[in-house]
Amino acid sequence: MNRAFLFGAMLAAGTAAAGGVHAQGVIRIGAPLPITGPLSPEAKKQQRGYDLWAETANRAGGINVGGKRMKVEIVYVDYQSNTPRAVQSAEKLITQDNVSFLFSPFGSGATKAASSVSEKYQVPTIAATASSAQVYDQGYKYLFGTFTPNETLTDPLTDIVGRVAPSVKRVAILARNDLFPLAIAQEMEKSAKKRGLEVAYFEKYAIGTLDHASALSQIKAQAPHWIFATGYTNDLLLLRKQMADQRIEAQVVTMIAAPAYQEWIDGVGKLAQNVTSAAWWHPAVRYQGKDVFGSSENYVKLYQAKYGTLPDYGEGSASAAGAILQLAIEKAGSIDRAKVRDALSAMNEMTFWGPVKFGPNGQITSLEPPVFQIQNGKPVVIHPAPIRQGDLQLGVGY
Amino acid sequence: MLYFQILANGLVLGGLYACIASGFSLVWGVLNVINILHGSFIVLGAYLAYFAYLKAGIHPFLSIVIAIPAFFAIGYGLQRLMINRIIAAPVLLTLTLTFGLDLMLQNAMILAFTADFKKLVLDPPLGTIALGQVVMPVDRIAAMVLALALTGMLYLILSRSRIGRAIVAVRMDREAAALMGVNVARIYAVTFGLGVMMAGASGPLLAMIFPISPLGGPAYLGKAFVICVLGGLGSVPGAMIGGLVLGVVESFGALWFGPEHAITLSFTLLILMLLVRPQGLLGRKGYE
Repeated sequence: MNRAFLFGAMLAAGTAAAGGVHAQGVIRIGAPLPITGPLSPEAKKQQRGYDLWAETANRAGGINVGGKRMKVEIVYVDYQSNTPRAVQSAEKLITQDNVSFLFSPFGSGATKAASSVSEKYQVPTIAATASSAQVYDQGYKYLFGTFTPNETLTDPLTDIVGRVAPSVKRVAILARNDLFPLAIAQEMEKSAKKRGLEVAYFEKYAIGTLDHASALSQIKAQAPHWIFATGYTNDLLLLRKQMADQRIEAQVVTMIAAPAYQEWIDGVGKLAQNVTSAAWWHPAVRYQGKDVFGSSENYVKLYQAKYGTLPDYGEGSASAAGAILQLAIEKAGSIDRAKVRDALSAMNEMTFWGPVKFGPNGQITSLEPPVFQIQNGKPVVIHPAPIRQGDLQLGVGY
Repeated sequence: MLYFQILANGLVLGGLYACIASGFSLVWGVLNVINILHGSFIVLGAYLAYFAYLKAGIHPFLSIVIAIPAFFAIGYGLQRLMINRIIAAPVLLTLTLTFGLDLMLQNAMILAFTADFKKLVLDPPLGTIALGQVVMPVDRIAAMVLALALTGMLYLILSRSRIGRAIVAVRMDREAAALMGVNVARIYAVTFGLGVMMAGASGPLLAMIFPISPLGGPAYLGKAFVICVLGGLGSVPGAMIGGLVLGVVESFGALWFGPEHAITLSFTLLILMLLVRPQGLLGRKGYE
């Protein structure tokens, strides 16, 4: 009798602890991130963005849920840059840590893999770093992404180059064989062909490649006017250096996504000059939002005060994921998952990140991503017109 | 012309590879210890060069001079205090120990240096030289020459000095060497010290070429494995030859099969080598 009572009491206490997250007035959001392993620099950025949002929301008293203020807490799990483990982490967060909502793991590949878990448990999930259309083509109802499709980056870029430098005819493309870097390279190929450019070289390099010399020798032999390379910071640090090692020149050199990061600009030094890139957001954009951060300017100010540097699009997107979720919860007036999901689906709001409206597949459709160029060590926005800071400069040397 | 450029690319890359592998090969061959820490010691050496250049303007070439005694001391101490306790245990145990230490070192480096990628940018850069149409970067050539010099120095230590002969004797027959009066524990520590020294000294060379990240070690380690199997375990000239062969094979592999298959090719080569000539190009049967 006694033992049965004790067991019952423990069970009750356990249930109370698990369900107590709501009773205590805290909203828990799960964030599986590659905190260790090769992607750890990206995870650090995501964490900075999420933390800044949670801190800002909590400082304002928490999220207004139907008149009641609730604080937010982000539960991080390290999936060690291992995609299968990202899926397990998402499931653990939902079933064991009892989070109400999820932020996706890093990148298109892991986001797609983990989205099947959040769909199964019907947990609204915001992806802060997934742009590839293949992530959103599964007919899922609970996945929302803050990045527009890849062609919204390559199309305006190709238009600008076509306008400023009509002599650019031959393009060479070198892509990291990874979901996003490869997808954006394929979009570039389409954008180029649509505008009558010749794609003279298109190759992939493996993840973890320590040497690009052979690929670059082949590219040099083709004498392209435009070199388009994709990869993450380490890949493109090495690639840019090795281009100079072989005395490669071109009228236009575009690299995605590394030049959006200050450490890439610092890491290549003078070789950054005139390299173009595009990203989904830039600290130079100016939007007046209705979210917890208010304006883009205020967001940048808060970010600088906390971390001492400018935010890049990855960090901005992580903060935006939080701010968008907050708007949806406030609109729904509840933390009921289905209601928040509906509020996300119907959202049409201005934020510091830009206008936020999701398409039927869950991917944002309302953003116009900026194109920028590194000039004298600083990123200069060259598109879109309302936030333009300068013109495209031609000629990238060694 | 393209072929000459690709060959040149492969040779300078091979020089770097030799540099990565020689210390690893020595430790594996003599101590039968697979030192998983090797890659992370290279990274630590690279950070040494990065901060020495950034804070004090010390050229990476000079950092090597600092790295040599410092890393020898680290290696000697590590072997004496930790690895020596389990040196007689099966190889899996030393592998697990160095693996654990590697995780600790990696995470310590994340804490100390942050996970952001860093790059040592020489100002002014060393530039490039052209032989006809073939262009080669001076930093890679210099790194290759220095790697050759370091490897040559190691070879001389092993073949000419008293302590080097003792190392070779221990490698051939531990019991017999002990009977001849060789202090085996000390020789082990010296060998491990030399291995770590080679890793630390190649760090500054690689810092001029590759981005530096606390988690960059495993990539170097992967190359070191392939090179050791190619060249022959414990053989210093073997590491040199293995490195050059791997560099050239990867370069032409990228040309003929596309850059995405360069890494696959190197591991295919590893498997083929294990099947056909497990002792490596320069290794002798019975040493492995």
